Amino acid sequence: MYSISNQLIPDLILLALPFLILIVRLCSKRTTVMPWRIANLGLIATFVMLNMIPLTNSEGAFFLSNWRVDDFGVLMREVFVLSGILGLWLAKDYFDHGADGKPALMHITEFMATLIFATFGGFIVVSACDMLTLFLGLEMATIPMYALTAWNKRDQYGSEAATKYILMGSVATAFELFGFSYLYGFAGSIHFSQIASATSAGTSPLLWIALLFIFCGIGFKLTLFPFYTWAPDVYEGAPTPVTAVLSVTSKATAIAFLVVLLYGPLAPVQDKIVPLVALLACTTLFVGNLGALKQSRLRRFMAYSSIAQAGYIMIALLGPGYISKTAIVYYLFVYTVANYLAFFVFGVIGHYRPESFNSLRGLSKQNTLLAVALAAAMFSLAGIPPLAGFFGKFHLFFSGATAGHYMVVAFAVLNNVLALYYYLQVIKSAWADEPEGELSPIRMVKRQRFVVIALLAATILLGVLPFVSNNVFTGFTF
Amino acid sequence: MTLMNCLILAFLLFGIGVWGLIHRRHLVGMLISMELMLNAANINFIAFAYFTPGDSTSGSIFSAFVIAVTACEMAIALAIIVSMYRRHKSLDVEQLRDLHD
Repeated sequence: MYSISNQLIPDLILLALPFLILIVRLCSKRTTVMPWRIANLGLIATFVMLNMIPLTNSEGAFFLSNWRVDDFGVLMREVFVLSGILGLWLAKDYFDHGADGKPALMHITEFMATLIFATFGGFIVVSACDMLTLFLGLEMATIPMYALTAWNKRDQYGSEAATKYILMGSVATAFELFGFSYLYGFAGSIHFSQIASATSAGTSPLLWIALLFIFCGIGFKLTLFPFYTWAPDVYEGAPTPVTAVLSVTSKATAIAFLVVLLYGPLAPVQDKIVPLVALLACTTLFVGNLGALKQSRLRRFMAYSSIAQAGYIMIALLGPGYISKTAIVYYLFVYTVANYLAFFVFGVIGHYRPESFNSLRGLSKQNTLLAVALAAAMFSLAGIPPLAGFFGKFHLFFSGATAGHYMVVAFAVLNNVLALYYYLQVIKSAWADEPEGELSPIRMVKRQRFVVIALLAATILLGVLPFVSNNVFTGFTF
Repeated sequence: MTLMNCLILAFLLFGIGVWGLIHRRHLVGMLISMELMLNAANINFIAFAYFTPGDSTSGSIFSAFVIAVTACEMAIALAIIVSMYRRHKSLDVEQLRDLHD
């Protein structure tokens, strides 16, 4: 058994990192190079340290009774850190030059620090054992995102997107907090173990009102059906790397929040919440898919795609905890890899052309690597068999089916056909459509080529992983 | 003064906040409405901490944390609104129309 301090090392590194970067920025003469290196080193160190923590299949280790490090937490931390690193690498080029008609970003050190704070917010959410920690974690993951969205002060769309985001986000916070206050009134405590014993002892209308408010709040952050309208605007207005981080880190945080609540304090009433979750999941993925059909701009398209993906992930929440958690973590890895792969391709193209479907034309003849990467990312997001996305979706649906929700799963699978249509539209633009006129040249820097190849390999290898490693399949009994 | 009075007050405040958010067209007015909603939750926390048996400290501490977090959020919100104002020279939400389908 490892001592608690070992398991806290990654958290402590990540917590110290933003402060360290900012201090180095103030003291060092090489104001951009040193913080950049330290940020990369710190994030990679965190990732390595997280991989050293053995998965124990137990309750997890507690620290001060409200900070828990369990298997789900460790794996989710890896997702967050991965998303953070990839987000930084994607963002780096946007500080050197403008893209997609927007001016270049500035203040890279502060950008990195803010991004790492948001990542740490995700850490807090997955380790929370009481409502206060959970609330602080969610806020810590969200508030930096507002600032990141508005990072490009010289871009009018950025500030408009940030205004919409912060208005919607604060309303969500208020709803969620109001729900928490009723939950506290119901249970008489903010600690999860006591809330769990209160919910298993009996329910009352207060509990249901609390849950309604909490679901309204988290619905905003997870872009669930009636609350998703801000997402396309914000995703389009934000700088492209921020959009990528938003669609992965913020979505993963919101999912983790739901998992922590549903399989922690609310586990005794989970079967009563399930119809609501199923309704939200079905409407969300249907609306996301319908919205994506008619888009012509890539970031807006990715926004609707990620709304639909949130719906798919929600389906896993119908199942029992151990299967659902495995499925969600695995799918989030797959989703992170595929989403970032797509955004890296868009990033390279966006440097030279506007980010729209038309800019993809003729890509296969001009740069085969990018076209292959784009096809792999889209096929993975759509869930085509040899790629990781298929196994990810399979696990999500398996989790839903285990609990006997066959209709919901069938609806989701039918929707997947709809999704396939618009993902194929992207591939068609890149591979089949003839370009209009002369194409501007596309060049990749070394880092971009490395990341695109690595992510392309990961998209394929992650699909093979479940057959090699027993870890992923422990939750499954066929 | 009973628990019910406090809860009704908090619920009314929350309702006024939602109403204000929907009807206000001015960004600062919307922020104030949001503040009302957050403080309604604070009243709830303190009322539950005071009137119900159980862990009363955590409820009071929660509301203190909420005030701090809200301050952070409002600081960022005002910064973003200032940058909006510099561009549009007005704080009317009707101007948020550049991004749409």
